[in-house]
Amino acid sequence: MTTTTAAIRATGLSKVYGSGAARVIALDGIEVRVRRGAFTAIMGPSGSGKSTLLHCLAGLDAPTGGTIWVGDTKITGLSDDELTDLRRDRIGFVFQAFNLVPTLTAAENITLPLDLAGRRPDPQLLDRVVGALGLGHRLDHRPSQLSGGQQQRVACARALITGPDVVFADEPTGALDSRTSRELLGFLRDSVDEAGQTVVMVTHDPVAAVYADRVLLLADGRIVDEVQAPTAETVLDRLKSLERAGA
Amino acid sequence: MLKAMPRELLAHKGRLAMTLLAIALGVAATVASWVAADSVATSLAGTKTRGDVGVAVRAADASTTMSSSTAKRLRGLPGVQRVHEVVVGKAGLIGRDGKLVAATTVLDRAGTNWDDSGRFTLTDGRAPRGPGEIAIGRTEAGKSGLGVGDRTTVLLSDGRARDAVVSGLFDYVSLGPRSGDGADPVPAVAYDRESARALLGERLSRVELVVQSGVDPDAVVRAALGVGYVVSTGSELAAAAAAESDDTARELRETLLPLAAIALLVGMVVIANTFTMLVTQRTRQFALLRAIGAKRRQIRVAVVAEALVLGLVGGTIGTLIGIGLGPVLLAVMRPGDDLGYTVSPVAVLLGYAVAVVVTVVAASGAARRAALVPPMAALRADAVVPKDVLVRRSALGSGLVVAAVVAVVATAGPSEDNLTRIIGLLSALVGAAGVLLLAPALAVLLFRPLLGLARRHGGSAVRLGVRNAARDPRRTAGTATAITVGLGLICAFGLLSATFATLIASTTRANVPAGTTVLQPAAGGASVLSPSELDKVRATPGVSRAAASRDKIVPISYPGGRTERKISAIEPDALGTVLTPTLTAGVADLRRGVVISQNQADMLGLGLGAPITLVPDPRTPINTTIVGIYEATELGASIFYDVALAPAPLRDQLTIIYASGPTARTALGEGFAQRPDVTVTDREGLVAQGIEAQRLAFALLYAMFGVAIVIAVFGVVNTLALSVMERTREIGVLRAIGASRALVKRTIRVESIVISLFGALLGVTLGLAVGAVMQHAMFGQHLWDITVPIGVILTSLTGIVVAAVVAALWPAAKAAKTDVLAAIG
Ligand SMILES: Nc1ncnc2c1ncn2[C@@H]1O[C@H](COP(=O)(O)OP(=O)(O)OP(=O)(O)O)[C@@H](O)[C@H]1O
Ligand SMILES: [Mg+2]
Repeated sequence: MTTTTAAIRATGLSKVYGSGAARVIALDGIEVRVRRGAFTAIMGPSGSGKSTLLHCLAGLDAPTGGTIWVGDTKITGLSDDELTDLRRDRIGFVFQAFNLVPTLTAAENITLPLDLAGRRPDPQLLDRVVGALGLGHRLDHRPSQLSGGQQQRVACARALITGPDVVFADEPTGALDSRTSRELLGFLRDSVDEAGQTVVMVTHDPVAAVYADRVLLLADGRIVDEVQAPTAETVLDRLKSLERAGA
Repeated sequence: MLKAMPRELLAHKGRLAMTLLAIALGVAATVASWVAADSVATSLAGTKTRGDVGVAVRAADASTTMSSSTAKRLRGLPGVQRVHEVVVGKAGLIGRDGKLVAATTVLDRAGTNWDDSGRFTLTDGRAPRGPGEIAIGRTEAGKSGLGVGDRTTVLLSDGRARDAVVSGLFDYVSLGPRSGDGADPVPAVAYDRESARALLGERLSRVELVVQSGVDPDAVVRAALGVGYVVSTGSELAAAAAAESDDTARELRETLLPLAAIALLVGMVVIANTFTMLVTQRTRQFALLRAIGAKRRQIRVAVVAEALVLGLVGGTIGTLIGIGLGPVLLAVMRPGDDLGYTVSPVAVLLGYAVAVVVTVVAASGAARRAALVPPMAALRADAVVPKDVLVRRSALGSGLVVAAVVAVVATAGPSEDNLTRIIGLLSALVGAAGVLLLAPALAVLLFRPLLGLARRHGGSAVRLGVRNAARDPRRTAGTATAITVGLGLICAFGLLSATFATLIASTTRANVPAGTTVLQPAAGGASVLSPSELDKVRATPGVSRAAASRDKIVPISYPGGRTERKISAIEPDALGTVLTPTLTAGVADLRRGVVISQNQADMLGLGLGAPITLVPDPRTPINTTIVGIYEATELGASIFYDVALAPAPLRDQLTIIYASGPTARTALGEGFAQRPDVTVTDREGLVAQGIEAQRLAFALLYAMFGVAIVIAVFGVVNTLALSVMERTREIGVLRAIGASRALVKRTIRVESIVISLFGALLGVTLGLAVGAVMQHAMFGQHLWDITVPIGVILTSLTGIVVAAVVAALWPAAKAAKTDVLAAIG
C-alpha cells in the first residue's frame, strides 16, 4: 500500500436501476483505487457495468450506495453545482462519440471548460496539447469538417486542457480504425508518462488495454479480476475465462 | 459558452426569421397603437393655443340666456378692452353631391358668426359679407369639394335653407375643450355678424373679453350681469383643452393597447413554443456542456441571453414596422382628421421593453427545462428529455375549467347586476386559460383515435403525418394554441357581433311596428331634430299620428339606490300606436307613471308600483312610480316617461320621430326630400342601420385578431421547420427505403393541417363558449340566446387550412431535399 492519496477511490459502490421486476443491479459492491499517474483500463462483457462505473466515478451519475473520493474530496453527497465544478476543473472526459459542440470550432471546443470557468487558457499548455495531438492546422474547423479520429483528438485535448486529476474515457476508440486508435492511445499513454496524468479507460479491445498499466475486469457489476502490465494474450485469456464462467 | 448560442441561432436563418417576425409583429402592433395615440394627443394639443382671450363668459345653465344686450352691458366697462360675441347655431352644409357634409361638429352647433377675435384664420378668399356669403372650414371644404366662389345651400334651424356663395375658407382655433359644457365646437359655416344673428339666432353661446391686467374678471362680470354666469380665464380653458386632448389620447390608447396585447400574447405562445423546440433539439448539446462543467445557471443564462438577443433584434424590427404602420392606423381610426404624426421616445422604449420582456418571459420555461437536462443525457443515443409535469398542468387546467363552468352557470341569470356579470365574464376567461393548459392532454385524447383511424383508412402520407403530429402532444398543443387564441377571439367577437345584430333586429322589430315611419338626424352622433320637424311631420297629409322620443342618460334613484339610465320622454299616446312594446305587467299609460323594461326592473329590483325618481335636470327631479313593465333586451331598454314632465330644453331635442298613417312613408319621403339633414326610413331601415353600425365597430377588432392569426401561422411554420430538422435522420431513412419526395412533402402538409385544425377547432369551441358568456354579460340575455356566426367560422376554418398548406410549403421543400446519405451516414 502506498501512503500517498489515490487519484480516485471508491468503496462499497453500488448502483441499482429501476425497481420490482425491472430492477437491475449494475454495480454491486465495487472496491477500487486508482493510483496517481497510472493508466487503468476497465474491461468486461457487455452489460457488466463498465460505463456505469465510469459515470459514477466521474460524478456524472449518482451511485445508489457507497463512497467515492477524487483525491481528498469525497464526491458522494456533493450538490449539483459542486459536482459540476469538480467535473469542470478536476476531471476530463472522452466519450465514444458526440463529444463536441457542433457550432464551435475545434479550438473553441478545446477551451470550452476554461470558458465555462471564466478562465483564459494557459497558452503553453494549449500549444503543447494541440501540438502533441497534431491538430495545429485544424483549429479553425468545425467538428463537421473533421474526421472521426480528429474529433476524438479534439475531445482528448479538451479533457486535458484543465490539467485534471483524472481523465475518463469510455470506449474512446470504439468508432476508430486501428491506426487512428493507436495514435490516440499512444497519446493518452504519453500524457501519463510525460505529464503524470491519471487515465481511466473503458475498452472492449484487448489491444487497446495493452496501453494501460493495469486492467480491471468487471462481470455482473463486480470487479472479478485484475491484470498488471497486461499483454494482448493475457487480457484475452482472462476475458475468455470470464465468458466461460458467465456462460 | 455564450458564444455557441448566437451561432446556433445564425446557423438556422429561416427559423431565426420566423421567430423574429413573431416578436416583431406583436411589437409593431403595440408601437403603432402608441404612435397613433401620441399623434392624436399632440395634434389636438398643438391645434389650440389662443392667447388672445382673457376671459370667456357663458350662461351657467339653460335658465339664463345671453344676447347682444348682455354683451353691450360688458362693453365699455372699466378694465374691459375688447368684447366679442359668439353665436352658435344650426348650419348644415350641402356638398356638391347634394348630400349633407359630415362636419367635425354636430349640425346643431356647426354655424357661427365671423369675427376678428382670432378664432378664424383665413386660408383662402375673404371674410363673408351679408346673408348670401359664407366662409367654410377647410376640412369641410376638402370633404365637400366646395371652394371659394362656389354656390351651395346651408340648412338652418326649423327646416329653413338658404343659398350662399363661399367667400373664403378658414382654419379654426378652439378656445378650450371641443365638447362638454362650455365647449367651443369647431364650426363648419360662418356668416358675418348681422347675418348670423338673423339666420342662426339671437342667443349668444358666449362672450369673449379681453381685460386689463390686474382686473378681476369675476368681479367685473358679477358687477355688470349679476349671478348665473360662468367666467373662465383663457388659461383655465387652455388647461381644460389640454386635459381633453390627453383624455382623447388616453381613450384611444385604452382601445388599441388591449388589442395589441392580444397580438403580443399570441406572439408569446409562438416564441415559447419555438424556444421549447430549440431546447429539445439541443438536449444532447446541453447535456454535453453540463458534463464538462457548465452549471445549471449557466445553461439557463445562455438560453435567456439568446432570448434577449432575439428580443432586441425583433424589437428593433417591430418598432420600425410599428412606426411605419402608425399613420395607417390613424387613417383607419380617425379618418378625415388632419393629424400630425408624432413618434415619442416612449413609443420606441415601449417597443423594446415589450419585445425583451415578452421574449424573455416566453423563453424562461424553455430555459428552465434546458437547465434540467442531466449530463447523462449526452451519453445516450435516445436523449432523455426532461418531461414537463404534464399531469400537474392538466390537473390545474381541469380545476380551472370546472371552477369556471360553475361560476359561469351561477352567474348566468338574465337579470344579474353588472358585478355578477363581470364575475361571469372573468370566469369564462379563466376557463379559457384552463382549456389552453389542457391542450396537450386534449391533443393526446383526440389524436389517439385519429391515429387509429388514419392507420386503418389513411394513405401512407396521412398515416405518417398524423403520427408526427401526435408524437409530441406538448409541442403540437403549443403550436396549436397560438392559433386557438387568435381564432377563439375571432369566434367570440364574431358571435358577439352576430348576436348583437340579431338583437338589434329583434328588438327593433318588437318595438317598432312595420307601418311606422322613422325620422332621424342625418348627421348621426349626438345630433337631434327640433320640434319644427315634428310639426312638419304632423302637418304632412297621410300622417295620422306622430310622436318623438327624447333620449338622455340621466341619474335615477330608486328604493335600492341610485344609478344612471337611459330615459325617453315621449308623448303618452305613442305607446301602443307608433311604438308597440310588449307589456309583461301593468299598463302602458305614461300619464300615470313610467314604463320600464323587464330586465332593467329585475336588475334594479323594481316591481309594479315601485317609486322611482328621474333626474334629467337637477332642479326638477321627477318623482313617479312604475305602472308598466315591457319585454326588452338590454339594447332597447329604456324608461319611458311623459314628455310633459321633461324639462323644457330637453323637450326640444328630439332623438327620433315616429309617425304612422295610411300613406305616411311616401308622404314623408317626399316632404323631406329637400332636407338632407333628415333621414326618413322605416323599421327595416332602422334594423339595417343598426347592424351596419355595429359591423363597423367590429371591423377594427377583426383586423387586430387577423394580426394574431398571422403570428400564429408563423408559429406553425416554425414548428414544422424545426420538426423537419429534428427528423432529418428519420426522413433520410424513409427516403432510403423508398419514400418519394412527393410523399415526404405530403406527410409534412398533413401534419401542418392536422396541427392547425386541432388549434382551430379548439379555438372555435372556446370562442363560441366565451362569446356566449360575453353576450350574456353585455346584453343580459340567456347564455343560449346566441347567433352562431356560421360565415365567420367557415371562413376562418377555410383560411386556416389554406394557411396550414402554405405554412407547410417551405418545411416540406426542406424535408424533400433531405440528403439520404447525410441523414443516415
Ligand atoms: N438508465 C438505465 N436504466 C436501467 N438500466 C440500465 C441503465 N443504464 C444501464 N443499465 C443497465 O445496467 C447494466 C450495466 O450497464 P452499463 O451500460 O454500465 O454496461 P457496460 O458494461 O457499459 O456495457 P457495454 O459494454 O455494452 O457498454 C446493464 O444491465 C444495463 O442494462
Ligand atoms: Mg458501456
